[in-house]
Amino acid sequence: MPLERLFDPASIAVIGASATPGKIGYEAMRNVQAFDGEVFPVNPSGDGEVFGHEFVPSVDDIETAPDLALLCVPAAAVPDIVEECGEAGVGGAVIFAGGFAETGDDGAELQDRLIEAAEASGVDLLGPNTSGFLVPGDDLYATFTTDLETIPSGNLAIVAQSGGLSYALGFRAQNIDVGVSAMVGLGNRATTGFTEAIEYFDADEQTDTILLHVEGTADARALLATCESVETPVVAYHVGEQDVGDFAESHTGALTGEYELYQAGFEQYGVPTVRSCAELIDAGTALANCPEPDGPNVGVVTAQAGPGIAITDQLKAAGANLPSLTAETQDVVEDILPGITFAENPVDTGRPMPEFGEVIGAVARDENIDIVLVYELYEAALGYPVEDLESVVEAVDKPIVFASGGPESILDEELPKLEAIGVPTYRTPERGADAAAGLVQYAVRNAPPEAAGAQVEVRADD
Amino acid sequence: MTETFEAVAAAERSTLTESEAKELLADHGLSVPDSRLVRSPEAAVDAATDIGYPVVAKVSSPAVQHKSEWAGGRGVAVGLESPEAVRDAAAAILEAIDEQGIEGSVLVEAGVDLEAGIEVIVGGTRDPSFGPTVLLGLGGVAVELLEDTTHRIAPISHAEAVEMTYELSSSPLFDGYRGGPTVDRDAIAETIQTVSELLAANEDIADVEINPLLAREDAAIALDALITRTDGD
Repeated sequence: MPLERLFDPASIAVIGASATPGKIGYEAMRNVQAFDGEVFPVNPSGDGEVFGHEFVPSVDDIETAPDLALLCVPAAAVPDIVEECGEAGVGGAVIFAGGFAETGDDGAELQDRLIEAAEASGVDLLGPNTSGFLVPGDDLYATFTTDLETIPSGNLAIVAQSGGLSYALGFRAQNIDVGVSAMVGLGNRATTGFTEAIEYFDADEQTDTILLHVEGTADARALLATCESVETPVVAYHVGEQDVGDFAESHTGALTGEYELYQAGFEQYGVPTVRSCAELIDAGTALANCPEPDGPNVGVVTAQAGPGIAITDQLKAAGANLPSLTAETQDVVEDILPGITFAENPVDTGRPMPEFGEVIGAVARDENIDIVLVYELYEAALGYPVEDLESVVEAVDKPIVFASGGPESILDEELPKLEAIGVPTYRTPERGADAAAGLVQYAVRNAPPEAAGAQVEVRADD
Repeated sequence: MTETFEAVAAAERSTLTESEAKELLADHGLSVPDSRLVRSPEAAVDAATDIGYPVVAKVSSPAVQHKSEWAGGRGVAVGLESPEAVRDAAAAILEAIDEQGIEGSVLVEAGVDLEAGIEVIVGGTRDPSFGPTVLLGLGGVAVELLEDTTHRIAPISHAEAVEMTYELSSSPLFDGYRGGPTVDRDAIAETIQTVSELLAANEDIADVEINPLLAREDAAIALDALITRTDGD
């Protein structure tokens, strides 16, 4: 598979390895200590050992060519070293150095030389101008920043144009205890761009959803086509709403900005879009952990009116449809809870109660409902309806997401029980709505063409 | 269509004149007002008689981009109801052409009742990163102020083009809002698709803009059109 030696190496050479703390060549060595494959510090002026590995003078001196090289060397040296790597049989190289196309004409020329060297010698590059990547499940930290081992392993692949933003996303995931299958900063995308990375993680068995950060690319059409062609859901965060189009003679030119085209393009090609790092991860956990939604119709079940109203408000703004429940479901809900506060959609039980799980089950089974969003504050006497939900999840092949509130220590203890049965959880009403909105967008944007007419009808009635 | 286009390419011009652009659109099945290109006031009157009153007279010249601002406002005369009015308007345009020493003629065109429809803008542009793209927006003077527009990467299906008409905030206007005219969404959609196909099929075309497109109950009529070539500046 393309890029396999880059992203799934059996051995790593750190070129420009150093025994001096603070140097990139030292930090990279420290980060690869957890890796269970072979590690080779390469430095012609290196002496003795670093982290228990003996220095080798050149990549040529390693008996079996390493799969991956981490280049901790200045920009000017990079093209020649990549050529050496290629000749030695290295498969992939991460180029941390900046000073390439992002800095102007001289840098662009250097990048062209680098690409030439890489293509001539068959080395796949990540970067230059990147912070690297990590695969927590393989204890693989191909980067020079610290404390990355705190980011848990999981099923979201972060593919960010900016290395810095990949960290912002990775640590956001860590902060809310969400795991990643990989976190990649593409940097200048010399040979590995969006399309190559998306295709790789689409084929990656650990990855269930790809989170994309895009500032801009020279071939947006190829990016869109790739997003559409892969099986794995992709969610996109495009930055640049305030950019204005170049000066143009026509209204069309003035009115057609990059931002509008990215929004329109992602919508056309089946990709949900978000407006923040937090939303990107929340939509991602819903798509990665739930069954694929069949449609945009959300059933909201809430134990408290206020959060339910906030959720409904936000969902409607996001274009979700909250259909009426069938008469049958309404009868079931009335039977469970006579005189219930509001038995249509949202269903508001007024407070947590032992029958809450049964109500969720009734709504989830409703044929008008494609996605279920639940809100319930934690109540010690009742706990969460984990058992009821487990049988519902098994019985109905629909996404169920759960938003809640309570003391952090209790949520830390209790919410993972829901996560474990395939119900992603969120700690504010709005985050639950964002997650459901991601599912709604995915359903709408991937609806078969014959359903598009139905969508028009919905809009026409607004 | 390509005959017109090749002529423009040969002339090394970056844009087509309004009449060239409309001819190209008409060749692709879009509705444009009946028109004649003339070079004298007398021929303008004959053309008006032929077309039927009222008519509009506009300057037609590769050298003139912004017709209504050209020559102190002499470039466009609307609502011409009589032979005298047509003669005077054509004479004024021809005089200004002479004064400026440019090549040009007068486009006499059937006057269209703007009240019978809603002005929208349909455009297409070849983006360096996305390739051909199309837009639909509410037209008129406030187009850039309100930016009530919707975009697609081309090409698109008819259903998608119809969907675009529902995406505008102004969409309810198309259904006869407060006694206003009802418009044919299918005709707007066909126009968007035609623009999309023109861009997709002709690498030479950089931009197509129909502004305004008068969307009516029975049709959508291109009242003005601008087509720009890729290698023109």
